[in-house]
Amino acid sequence: MSSIDYITTTKDDIMNQSTTRESSYESRTQANVLRIFWWSLAWVGTCALLVFGPKFLWAKALVFTLLAVGLNVLVGVCAIMANKTYFEELDDLQRRVHLNSLAITVGVAFIAAVPYSVLDAYHVIPFHADVAHLVMLMGLTYAASNLYGTRRYR
Amino acid sequence: MKNRLKVLRAERDWTQAQLAEALDVSRQTINAIETGKFDPSLPLAFRAARLFGLAIEAIFHDPALDDHGSSLATEIKKKY
Repeated sequence: MSSIDYITTTKDDIMNQSTTRESSYESRTQANVLRIFWWSLAWVGTCALLVFGPKFLWAKALVFTLLAVGLNVLVGVCAIMANKTYFEELDDLQRRVHLNSLAITVGVAFIAAVPYSVLDAYHVIPFHADVAHLVMLMGLTYAASNLYGTRRYR
Repeated sequence: MKNRLKVLRAERDWTQAQLAEALDVSRQTINAIETGKFDPSLPLAFRAARLFGLAIEAIFHDPALDDHGSSLATEIKKKY
């Protein structure tokens, strides 16, 4: 196509070009988000199976527990791959927002984890330092940073 | 980095959403580029240039480089 053809590109040409493409950016992103949601939900399900299964479903039979661990890891890997695909298909700006959020989240997790475990070791806090608290903190930090990043570039 | 994306889009009577779809990015990205809050990557700048049928430097330019260019020219004149 010559440069003249580009200059004479019209709105209709653009819309036709968009419809002939496999899928638009928005629909691809929506599909990727949905894929992450389902894999994450499946992973939570396998976590529940791993936690409650040995006691309530198979009377602590080792084979079934190992199978549940294997399933949990397998579904977890699929969730990670879905997240990776989502990142790879984001546009420049969205990827930057998410990378900034990840950087802040990892930083906060590292900085919070050490003093939190020390506080627990010296019995400064009246409860046991659970890793779930750290996961919750990471989730909240990621959500807040993402919201901030999205609003910043609005 | 400054750019003429908004002007070029307006000349063609395209909305931000239509330009976003043509460049395969989100509308928010187009808005951030137009308002100068975000500089596009080289592949995205190339896509925009191809779409508008212009060279990249006809759409995007760095004023700091312009200043550097003119000061460099003055320096050369002084020397020679």
